[in-house]
Amino acid sequence: MRILLIDDTAQKLGRLKAALSAAGFEVIEESGLVIDLPKRVEALCPDVILIDSESPGRDVLAQVVLVSRDQPRPIVLFTDEQDPGVMRQAIKSGVSAYIVAGIQSERLQPILDVAMARFESDQALRAQLHEREAQLAERKRIELAKGLLMQLKNCNEEEAYTLMRRQAMSRQQKLIQVAEQVIAMSDMLGS
Amino acid sequence: MLHFRVLAQRLLTRGNDYCVVTAKPLMPKHQSPSRKNALDWVGGSDAPEKSSLNIGFMALTDSASLIVAATQEFAQPYGLRLKLQRQASWTALSERLHSGELDAAQGLYGLIYAMQLGLAGLPAKPMAVLMGLAQNGQSITLSSRLQLAGVSDSEALQRQVRQVGARLTLAHTFPTGTHAMWLYYWLASLGIHPLNDVDTLVVPPAQMVDHLQAGRIDGFCAGEPWGAQAVAQRQGFTLCTSQQLWPDHPEKVLACTREFVETCPNAARALVMAVLEASRFLDANEENRRAAASLLSADEYLAAPVADILPRFLGAYTDGNGHAWRDNHRLQFCSEGAVNMPFLSDGMWFLTQFRRWGLLREDPDYAGLTSAVQQTALYAEAASQLGLAVPAVMRSSTLFDGTQWDGHDPAGYAHSFALHAMTDSRSLASC
Repeated sequence: MRILLIDDTAQKLGRLKAALSAAGFEVIEESGLVIDLPKRVEALCPDVILIDSESPGRDVLAQVVLVSRDQPRPIVLFTDEQDPGVMRQAIKSGVSAYIVAGIQSERLQPILDVAMARFESDQALRAQLHEREAQLAERKRIELAKGLLMQLKNCNEEEAYTLMRRQAMSRQQKLIQVAEQVIAMSDMLGS
Repeated sequence: MLHFRVLAQRLLTRGNDYCVVTAKPLMPKHQSPSRKNALDWVGGSDAPEKSSLNIGFMALTDSASLIVAATQEFAQPYGLRLKLQRQASWTALSERLHSGELDAAQGLYGLIYAMQLGLAGLPAKPMAVLMGLAQNGQSITLSSRLQLAGVSDSEALQRQVRQVGARLTLAHTFPTGTHAMWLYYWLASLGIHPLNDVDTLVVPPAQMVDHLQAGRIDGFCAGEPWGAQAVAQRQGFTLCTSQQLWPDHPEKVLACTREFVETCPNAARALVMAVLEASRFLDANEENRRAAASLLSADEYLAAPVADILPRFLGAYTDGNGHAWRDNHRLQFCSEGAVNMPFLSDGMWFLTQFRRWGLLREDPDYAGLTSAVQQTALYAEAASQLGLAVPAVMRSSTLFDGTQWDGHDPAGYAHSFALHAMTDSRSLASC
């Protein structure tokens, strides 16, 4: 397992690295908080990112958000911060696990396992949600084009679909492409 | 098309809620055996378990209903996206269907039952035939070289085969496949033993014309447009169409593993409904077929000229041997549902031919196997929701040699043929 370690503690305590070494994990790189964490993640290809932060501030969470968006990885945050508000904010930003107080070597393996499993299931849900949203957006465009065509040709719904489909197939296109053309044409004609 | 409107209205009135694109109001309650994904629940109990499906197909005219369903969004009202994955050969398709890389695929009866029985070069796996995709529309082509040598009809072929030293090489598309079974049946009807009197080999359908041109094969049995293309390029002529052998014979099917249909019953039903609607669309009128032929010819689907696809797609045949006709049993996709019921007797026919040609050493449990593989209940549910008549699960056919097939005595039927390979030690699976 390739681990990227971010030590955001004030005195660079190194406590997490010590615990990881004791548990037999290999850390591919350790550094303080960097401004462009996604770039670092892209370069190093870690399996998991561990952040040790006494109290995760906005700068830390901003990097978490960026990683989740651009280079999604399981992120485990070890912290002394017990404020539920901060915890919620961190989870919302995209951390897979939020571990308060106490870094014990023997607990690291289960923590990482849970974080990885959690991350995978989140990613699957996210992908499916994205797919459904994209489908719905496409469906709305097709519905809109169908409505425009019904007005324009004074035809019923099924006829409008058939017209669009025939046109799409004749031009070796997908239905959505013809729908976009109908909408664009209608915009141009100002109807 | 009532449900279409209902869904569209729901979609428009309920705005951004992503779970509305489901067929929930129209689906009967169906118990899903697994609920692994939280979104299944969010989407409603009858929503497809997966929002997109990988669908395998081959470059063939009879993949039209799948290509039209996917590109023209016939599955969209059910919250399903169909992602087409063209396969280079039936072998590749069967491997990906077996591994789960493909959720469902165009299939040959002979391939799906071979996968079920472990005869397809892969470990046996419970398989499912969701629906029939097409009837008719295959052909047996012989090379122009043979034609020039005077072999231009069945009698001349019989004479040619009986000459010593003139062993012909004929291609089909999969060792246990449908085209092998059509070719064997037809050769046997001429008194030519397909395993002893000629050499047969497997060539992917889209490569048939090249192989014919290169002289590596003397003829082939495959789906269109490859027979028509051989004629157009003057590389061969059509000796026989599959609908001459068996008018309205079962051809391609929509297949998946049993595991898929058991874990994703809603997605499977939605898939069948979407493909049924695309099938009905293709059979509705000639204009739809003309437009579809243009789509099929695109590089990502058949990569063949419209001129090779369209005539036979519309039922207009020329055989390259002086005959032209309008076929009363052209390629059909729906025929108001008569094409699509996964008839038990259709599946069983292929098992009788497996038995006949020695692929099965003993009579299988014909009825048990087919009722497990053919998903007649799921099909009936899907078809009735679209207002299509649901026929009985057995049907009766008369083949060109006058024999009747109705599925009632499969073992007797399998043993009724003069030419067979039942006592042979040769196994086709090892060829």
